[in-house]
Amino acid sequence: MGKVTVKGLLARKLRLALTGLAIVLGVTFVTGTLVLTDTLNRTFDSLVGSAYQHVSFQIRSDTPFSATKAALSRSGDRKPIPASVEAAVRRVPGVAYADGSVEGYAQFVADGNAVGNSGSALGFSYDPNRQLSSVRLVAGRAPTSADAVIMDKATATKYHFRVGDHVRVLLGSSAPRTFTISGIVTFGSDDNLAGATLAGFDLATAQHLFNSRGYYGTIDVLAKPGADNVRLQRAIARVLPPGVQVVSGQTVANELSSAVSDALSFLSTALLVFALISLFVGAFTIFNTFSITVGQRTRELALLRIVGASRRQLFRSVLGEAAVLGLAASAVGLGLGVLAALGLKALLGAFGITLPPASLVFEARTAVVAIAVGVGVTVISAIGPARRAVRIAPVAALEDSREDEGEVSMRRRVRTGSIVGLAGIAALVAGLTAPTIALVGAGAVAMFIGAGMLAPVVARPMSGVLGRPLAALLGTPGRLGRENSMRSPRRTAQTAAALMVGLALVSAIAVLGASLSKSAKSEVDSAIRAAYIVTGPNSGFSNTVAPAVSRIPGVGVVTTAYKGPFELRGGQQSLVGVTTAGLPQTVNLAITAGRGAPALAAGQLLIDTTTASAKHLSVGSMVPVTFAQTGASRIRVGGIFKANPLIGSYVVGARYFLSHFDNPLPIVVLASTRPGARNVGRAINNYLNVYPNVGVKTRAQFEQSQQSSINQELGLVYVLLALAIVVALIGIVNTLMLSVFERTHELGLLRAVGMKRKQVKAMIRSEAVIIALFGAVIGLIIGTALGVAFAASLKQQGITEIAIPYASLVGFLVLSALLGLAAASWPARRAARLDVLAAIAAD
Amino acid sequence: MLNEVDDMTQTDQGLASPAARAVDLSKTYGKGAAVVRALDGVNVEFDRGRFTAVMGPSGSGKSTLMHCMAGLDTPTSGRAFVGDQEIEALDDAGLTDLRRDQIGFVFQSFNLVPTLTAGENITLPVDLAGAEIDQPWFDYLVGALGIADRLSHRPSEMSGGQQQRVACARALIRRPELIFADEPTGNLDSSSSAELLSFLRRSVTEHDQSIVMVTHDPRGAAYADRVVFLADGKVVGELASPTADSVVEQMMKLGG
Repeated sequence: MGKVTVKGLLARKLRLALTGLAIVLGVTFVTGTLVLTDTLNRTFDSLVGSAYQHVSFQIRSDTPFSATKAALSRSGDRKPIPASVEAAVRRVPGVAYADGSVEGYAQFVADGNAVGNSGSALGFSYDPNRQLSSVRLVAGRAPTSADAVIMDKATATKYHFRVGDHVRVLLGSSAPRTFTISGIVTFGSDDNLAGATLAGFDLATAQHLFNSRGYYGTIDVLAKPGADNVRLQRAIARVLPPGVQVVSGQTVANELSSAVSDALSFLSTALLVFALISLFVGAFTIFNTFSITVGQRTRELALLRIVGASRRQLFRSVLGEAAVLGLAASAVGLGLGVLAALGLKALLGAFGITLPPASLVFEARTAVVAIAVGVGVTVISAIGPARRAVRIAPVAALEDSREDEGEVSMRRRVRTGSIVGLAGIAALVAGLTAPTIALVGAGAVAMFIGAGMLAPVVARPMSGVLGRPLAALLGTPGRLGRENSMRSPRRTAQTAAALMVGLALVSAIAVLGASLSKSAKSEVDSAIRAAYIVTGPNSGFSNTVAPAVSRIPGVGVVTTAYKGPFELRGGQQSLVGVTTAGLPQTVNLAITAGRGAPALAAGQLLIDTTTASAKHLSVGSMVPVTFAQTGASRIRVGGIFKANPLIGSYVVGARYFLSHFDNPLPIVVLASTRPGARNVGRAINNYLNVYPNVGVKTRAQFEQSQQSSINQELGLVYVLLALAIVVALIGIVNTLMLSVFERTHELGLLRAVGMKRKQVKAMIRSEAVIIALFGAVIGLIIGTALGVAFAASLKQQGITEIAIPYASLVGFLVLSALLGLAAASWPARRAARLDVLAAIAAD
Repeated sequence: MLNEVDDMTQTDQGLASPAARAVDLSKTYGKGAAVVRALDGVNVEFDRGRFTAVMGPSGSGKSTLMHCMAGLDTPTSGRAFVGDQEIEALDDAGLTDLRRDQIGFVFQSFNLVPTLTAGENITLPVDLAGAEIDQPWFDYLVGALGIADRLSHRPSEMSGGQQQRVACARALIRRPELIFADEPTGNLDSSSSAELLSFLRRSVTEHDQSIVMVTHDPRGAAYADRVVFLADGKVVGELASPTADSVVEQMMKLGG
């Protein structure tokens, strides 16, 4: 009997550990996300703080935008300041130093490839003033000639550059140029600026390279010791021309910090959504485990009722167990989350984003949130089973009743499940049309809960159908596995429900991705006529590319496109500027009203159909616009084109664009070919060899690259959803373990009458595969519907085609079966190893 | 040589090797002072084509003896044979085959797999072996046991007596060397018990089946050809052609 007790205890411990694991993973994810983003935030804060530590004031242009989101962008979206301002400020009493500087794009080339990311390749004028600059020379000397550059230590170390070496640098406004490294620098004590490479030039060279001769981007001011800062700021403001402002260094630092934390909060929200998804899946597992154990403990609980426990006491004891479990799991998850954050930080490091060796930031808030979420999810999931526990009649202790669901409760389940599910679908549809993301989330949650409640209704027939091939293939073990999956439809359905949620999300994403991919292809097909597309970094590439391409023999029309922020009716938008000569040969604007290229040439604005209807604009409308560098003005709508995300919503002619943006860089160059021209692509490619960050693609290649970037993003989402799938698998392992323990006697009997260990394993595996397939099939159906609904609701955002990736869906189904097989391996081994004698002796 | 012996058993049981035998079989649990001798040097032979009852008080070792003989438990020392096969020599797979093909079991309770119908329960050992069902034999068994109209029922839809009869049919379906019955009537009322025991008796008389039955019940033991008495892990006596009265008498003698 002692053996049996030990086994029972072990069973309980295992159950608790496995159930807890479902919560541990979710809490780990939550904690890791919070710790990582807090750490990043703190890191950038201290970086920004140290950069502006000694800067008393910064002089810069006013921004004309009402809401500046672009505080982080290098162009600053501010007008340059005339160089004369520097001299005027220097003369203000109380000013110790005032140094103007310029910044721009400058990317090193090493071994023929561009170093790092074009978005974080910082070129700047080096200020030798130690008080004002955080850039420190660690080798060599400051750049003093037009061919000298200083390089960040991280790049120098990684690519083995030394002082005196030559290095090629990619620039925006000119062809790549070769410089001599005069010195190696650090940013404060870090080897680079949070992953951004640093290329420093002397002031005159920088002004020349960044097209700002006679101008500064900003002027940093250092006050004399003991100066009254308030008075000094006022005194400086008095000498500034209109449109130029003076702010404290602290203000600039604060602006940068809040811009960083805005960007990070987006990241943390996105990660937390996935963490919550896996917790939601974990909730199904907990609900299921507590349901099963309450069922298994019916006699024990009824006995407690007989000896005088009140319903309330029973309820509390079940919830108490859940709370303790949730607390323990959260504590473990909290610890693992910190480790996960360390791992993620290392991962970022591997991608070249070297963070200062600051220690991890563990806010009290992180612990509170993680534990509240972990305990909350566990306790809420256990409420249903706890209610079932208190409904057990005391007399159940005396009879051998199995957890069998009656007709009445089945009918009630169908009713409640339908109501919850339909309410969820209604909320989902409303959320998608509104569009309100919170409503979509709540609707999806309700829909999944409804589906989980309804699943037991179809579990028996579906398991029967899914199990038939297994029974035919594996004989008796397969048939027994099938019977086992059918014997408790509620258990099978609840176990499968977790996987259902995971697979529904995966397949919804797959449908969305396939639709995106197909739409992207049709966008390219319908928008681009040019034979060749030249693209580079998102921030743009050298101005010199387009003229050179147009000189290549066989090239017809060359169209250059620019992109920049502007405000339209007070809201920030993205404006595209295109050269208008021969435009119809490279771009198909699909004009639905007004004119196309002629309107652009006339300095008018083209808008897409979506914008026209949303903003109630028509051909001839005059709209107020604001540009960072030229301020407010008005523009006439000259035409309306069919919406195409590849083009954007607002298009103007290049002449108009260039008159409102200083030195914009082209983001794409399109080239058509002359009839009969040959080898044009190769010629363009040869020419572009000197620009390691720019490449040419044919239309088909361009389509492919658009699709592969979509697939890459899909891959990331799949990885994040994988955790939810893992949690669902833990649920299957958990249920199977519970079933194995529950059926100890039966397994013993089967072994006694001659079932081989292999056959026992086959039986358990069959059951697992059926459960997994059941969850997968329902998940795929719901997910496909969900994906189609998502895609349809995003029609305005550019998903014009809806595609269902059948091959992927079948792949998911096969994968689910394999995962079910994997989930069964431990329970199957355990069942096969069962001591036959102990099993038949167990009661 | 062994085959010849096997062949001879078909014609002349008396001269052939027994259906099962134990040689100096011992089984101890625990260590040191707390050691329990469940079996203490048991030597016994169970004859082919005979119905042997094993009796003894609780803790006498009768269940342990059966478990060791059937390969469900491993003895601490000594040897156990089913036919001429020594149990010790078999690994788990061999033991499984032995149980499936050579031994039939009838337990006191929980004899049937709840997800399978009565018919499927009966053919389970055959199905597990992937063998063909001997249909006339199957029909004879279910007819003789009066369960022909219950074949599509699940265990939960049958009475205790019906369930035990299904278990008997399963034990016999492969015509095993030997059937071990562990208190098969322990949970049955007297008329169901009588039916079941009569059937076991008939299968010995009419089909030369060998049966070893562990029982508490002197009336049950009276159906056997021979009773072996166990106490404190030792064989303490035996009785041929028992009646209920002679069994009780012998038990009183041993008890007193």
